[in-house]
Amino acid sequence: MRNTITTNINGRDVTISDVPPDQMALAWLRAEGFISVKEGCGEGDCGACTVALGVPTADGLDWRAVASCLLFLPMLDGRAVLTAEGLKGPNGNPHPVQQAMADGFGTQCGFCSPGFTMSLFALAHHDRLDDQAIYDSLAGNLCRCTGYRPIIEVARALPNLAADPGEAAVAERLRAAAGAALFYCADGLSFFAPTDLREALAYRSAHPDAWILAGGTDLGLAVTKRHQRPEVMLSLARVPELTRITDNHGSLTIGAAVPYAEILSVISTRHPELAKLLRRVGATQVRNQGTFGGNLGNASPIGDSLPALIALGATIDIAAPDGLRTVAAQDFVTGYRKTQLAADELIAAVHLPDLPPGELFRAYKVAKRVDQDISTVSASFRLRLENGKVAAIAAAFGGVAARPVRAHRLEAALQGLPWTAASLAGAQAALAEDIAPQDDLRGTAGYRRKVATNLVTRLWHETTNPTEFPVSLDRL
Amino acid sequence: MDTATVGQSFAHDSAAHHVDGKASFIDDMPEPRNLLHAHLITSPWAHARLTGLDLAPCLTVPGVVAVAAAADIPGLNDIGAILKGEPLFPTETLDYVGHPVAAVAALSPAAARAGAALAKIVGTPLPPVFDIRTALEREDYVCPPMTMLRGDVDKALAAAPLRLSGETEIGGQDHFYLETHIALALPADGGGLHIFSSTQHPSEVQHLVARLLGMPQSAVTVEVRRLGGGFGGKESQATLIAGVAALLCRKTGRPVKLRLDRDDDMTVTGKRHSFLLRWDVGFDKDGRVEAVDMLLAAGSGWSTDLTPGVVSRALSHADNAYFYPAARIRGLSCRTNHQSNTAFRGFGAPQGMIAAEAMMDDIAHHLRLDPLAVRKINFYGPGRDITPYHQTVEHFRLPAMLAEMEEKADLAKRRVAVDSFNAGSPIIKKGFAVAPVKFGVSFNNPAMNQAGALVMAYTDGSVLVNHGGIEMGQGLYTKIAQVTAEVFEIPLNQIRVSSTRTDKVPNTSPTAASSGADLNGMAAQQAAEIIRGRMAEVAARKFGVPLEDVQFKNGEIRSGNYHISFAELAELCHLQRVSLSANGFYRTPKIHFDKETMTGRPFFYFAHGLAAAEVAIDTLTGEWKCLRVDILHDVGRSLNPAIDRGQIEGAFLQGLGWLTMEELVWDKDGRLLTHAPSTYKIPTARDLPADFRVELLANADNPEASVYRSKAVGEPPLMLAVSVWLALRDAVASMAPPGARATLDAPATPERILAAVEAARSGVR
Repeated sequence: MRNTITTNINGRDVTISDVPPDQMALAWLRAEGFISVKEGCGEGDCGACTVALGVPTADGLDWRAVASCLLFLPMLDGRAVLTAEGLKGPNGNPHPVQQAMADGFGTQCGFCSPGFTMSLFALAHHDRLDDQAIYDSLAGNLCRCTGYRPIIEVARALPNLAADPGEAAVAERLRAAAGAALFYCADGLSFFAPTDLREALAYRSAHPDAWILAGGTDLGLAVTKRHQRPEVMLSLARVPELTRITDNHGSLTIGAAVPYAEILSVISTRHPELAKLLRRVGATQVRNQGTFGGNLGNASPIGDSLPALIALGATIDIAAPDGLRTVAAQDFVTGYRKTQLAADELIAAVHLPDLPPGELFRAYKVAKRVDQDISTVSASFRLRLENGKVAAIAAAFGGVAARPVRAHRLEAALQGLPWTAASLAGAQAALAEDIAPQDDLRGTAGYRRKVATNLVTRLWHETTNPTEFPVSLDRL
Repeated sequence: MDTATVGQSFAHDSAAHHVDGKASFIDDMPEPRNLLHAHLITSPWAHARLTGLDLAPCLTVPGVVAVAAAADIPGLNDIGAILKGEPLFPTETLDYVGHPVAAVAALSPAAARAGAALAKIVGTPLPPVFDIRTALEREDYVCPPMTMLRGDVDKALAAAPLRLSGETEIGGQDHFYLETHIALALPADGGGLHIFSSTQHPSEVQHLVARLLGMPQSAVTVEVRRLGGGFGGKESQATLIAGVAALLCRKTGRPVKLRLDRDDDMTVTGKRHSFLLRWDVGFDKDGRVEAVDMLLAAGSGWSTDLTPGVVSRALSHADNAYFYPAARIRGLSCRTNHQSNTAFRGFGAPQGMIAAEAMMDDIAHHLRLDPLAVRKINFYGPGRDITPYHQTVEHFRLPAMLAEMEEKADLAKRRVAVDSFNAGSPIIKKGFAVAPVKFGVSFNNPAMNQAGALVMAYTDGSVLVNHGGIEMGQGLYTKIAQVTAEVFEIPLNQIRVSSTRTDKVPNTSPTAASSGADLNGMAAQQAAEIIRGRMAEVAARKFGVPLEDVQFKNGEIRSGNYHISFAELAELCHLQRVSLSANGFYRTPKIHFDKETMTGRPFFYFAHGLAAAEVAIDTLTGEWKCLRVDILHDVGRSLNPAIDRGQIEGAFLQGLGWLTMEELVWDKDGRLLTHAPSTYKIPTARDLPADFRVELLANADNPEASVYRSKAVGEPPLMLAVSVWLALRDAVASMAPPGARATLDAPATPERILAAVEAARSGVR
């Protein structure tokens, strides 16, 4: 067990032992003089605080853009951090990303620019297949001045950056120094990051009030927005059972603490429609930290991932002191921000079956903005048609009730019916009974009702294609 | 005109340091010894009589050092920018949720926040007003109604062959500059104050802080190096933040920093005015307007702030590019219990233009004509060139620009293609619209059209420029440096522009109204010319040639075979005791405006722009996508084409955000629910049109004698985004029966678009 944070900031090894664990990396970095890291919102939505987080791999560091405003300081343990101050090109010249941003009129007021620079730096270390990948990587950085066009052009022209050979040694040092569990205490607050599931469960049983931390993209808001202080935090990010994806050939078991970005890299061919939806969960910075476990655990009425998991027939593994139990995704959330999880249990994994041959899956998200917005309404459908009739349908909605719901009445109304326009009306009337939307800042109950209904129509159009015209905006 | 530096696309002067972290903002500065952090105590009610304020509990929090409220203000408790009556801290009523009533200073931001939370505000709630319609019924205005009048409107309306009236509501907009409001106040020598403020108007901060604290203006210095975005939100609003920091600094004798976090910034500070627009128009069968009667009612929020200016500019842009033979345009500034709405890029002009543009579309739909044809027939032109404020429109470029765009962007063909797509497509409908922009350049208030600059050359040939303008990302410092380099004919890297300070250039106007380069550039040019003149005399004497034979070129001063470097000549001037420092001063010529009759020539010239937008909407959900936008914009002879293009693109996307996705939502008690980016959505990179073609109008020297014949560019392109809103209306209108129009308020969120689609389907006319 260790009691100091070991990290590497802009190439220098650093240990931290006296800063409270609820201090965010943003505040700490700024206090240390890394003033390129800016606070624009404190909620992971603007990207001004973006830094590159280096995760040790077999041969170096994997650089990921993260929002430092939602990174509890102990989350830097065993990781390297790069800020704009630490970027350098050959011979001490500006780094190619910095040069391209400066020459390409990618900055105006400059406040968001270091964050963009770090997102572009991370992008330059990963595959950039097309403009969609560029938009994905920039969606978490807001710029109010440029209109983005010059920054997008910088991204298109970025060279593919090879890993810096010196990073292997940094990775090795971090691995060696941060192998054991971390138990970090400062200012009367404690942060425990165990390295096995039994330890995690034992700690959870002993500290039922501990804040359970996976990626922190939601939990961090309790500190930065609601100004609460956690006495005890339990981080699951180092527990091997919770941080791996297992291929069962026919299904995937996705650890509850696996970040979305890693899930996406595995499911993009296996579940392309789910991948499309998950690419709209937060933005890159959030997806590099956020997890299924966190999304399920906070039990939001919208729950970005849950409607899709319900429709896909996913199950959730819950780790209890006496072993694993499994519940259907649709039963996990029991009410407004309430789950089945007992005070001594942890979400262990999501068990995601492959889509059976002959079935199709669609996930729709409707929001005011395409990227990094919370759904006003989301809907997921799994459908099997046989001889023009509905042989099986599973439908789930988010944003239309106190919790994500399965639309049983809709399903029953469609079961066995011909998949024709004439069958829709009855089914849509049934759907009205499945949902109970409310007004909020994202939309009125009436709009949500209408959209939920119309998304069934969209499914029908997409699956029957009665005209040669596109029926959704993505096809334009 | 042959120029060496002006007209080139030099990079922003801070670009390299924007990306390596060395370009520092106020919160990035090393913190001074003994610094205190301030936090505001704000009203929990939208409207209440303030009956008591107990700040003693705040002082019980460890680390809290001081509190301040109205009673602590030694001078005049008023920070009204145009009219008096806006106390820094209120003493009688609380007028919106978030209204600052006092402040705490502590050793850390957390202690200040914790202290502020313990303040006991006692109040008696009063009935609040949250919407423009209610304020109109109550005739409760923050400033007197205004009317712009030309011709006998009632008679012309009655005589017109056709008549139509309409109404639309346009929401407000948060500035969402990435750097939130901040001020750092330090005690200065001799009892003075030095304030670093995130303000677009350092002189106003200086003058009002001096008045607040009962100090001479000369004892208060305000300094600004750069803002992390302003967009108008840091014009009048910055005074509150700086005022509180200064008051606590004065009270404690210690440096005080007040930085609002995002939630507080959005909850406390004012935004773009919402508007209710009504029009009654008479026209002929071709769609030619004969008379217009308009009402532009602004949601002003709780106080006057800059509302008179905003409404005045709205009225003077409700014609946009169109001639109204008779016009009555009334402006009402409605008081509501919301944040005090303020300057925002466009300053009322966008809302005024929207009234004109919505009206043009309605006429076209009513007559089943192409909306572009109706626009063309109403353009200003020879003999049809007097505005509702009686200024003659000169050098009107839009007809020629439209002809150019019709060809380059295939407007006619695309109109047909969109209509034919819509005839077949069941779910997705496209919309297409062309919107012109004519924007008057100059502050509507003639007195504000002045600027000063201080230029200093040193003996090594380096040059330092100070001026009254604020760098907030728009590249003003770069343009000023280019102008100065041009006068001296020296390389741009010999020029440095240093932070804007009230002790170098006094009594400046805000950097607003797109005036930054126009005014300060002229002042800097003039100052540089004074020095160049003195240097030329020294050179002429040295060379023994007539003054007119001395030339500044490529960093040298030459005459025939004689030459000397700029640095050598500067050194020589110093030895000969010739001053290398000069003040420049500029005031815009030709302008005048009578506020009572609302007539005159408020604008030195007009900037023009044209945008064609093509969009698609999903009629099941109201989601939409911007498919293509073509822009042709008139920046005169550009001082820096790349920077100007950046202004155009950035303004366009900001306008697009305002009109489509940026929705301010308050709850029934007047609490702003959208106070951070998780709930308030500004455009991201993906929201840029997939196909975005931006061109600067070529060979477009400003016919008026502006700085190197350039035109202002800060605000005008924001209004190009009206094309997107019109295109969305056009897509909705495609579902309505012939002759019916679309109704779509802004922001056109998916919910509003879907509602408009349903209304169009049901055939409401």
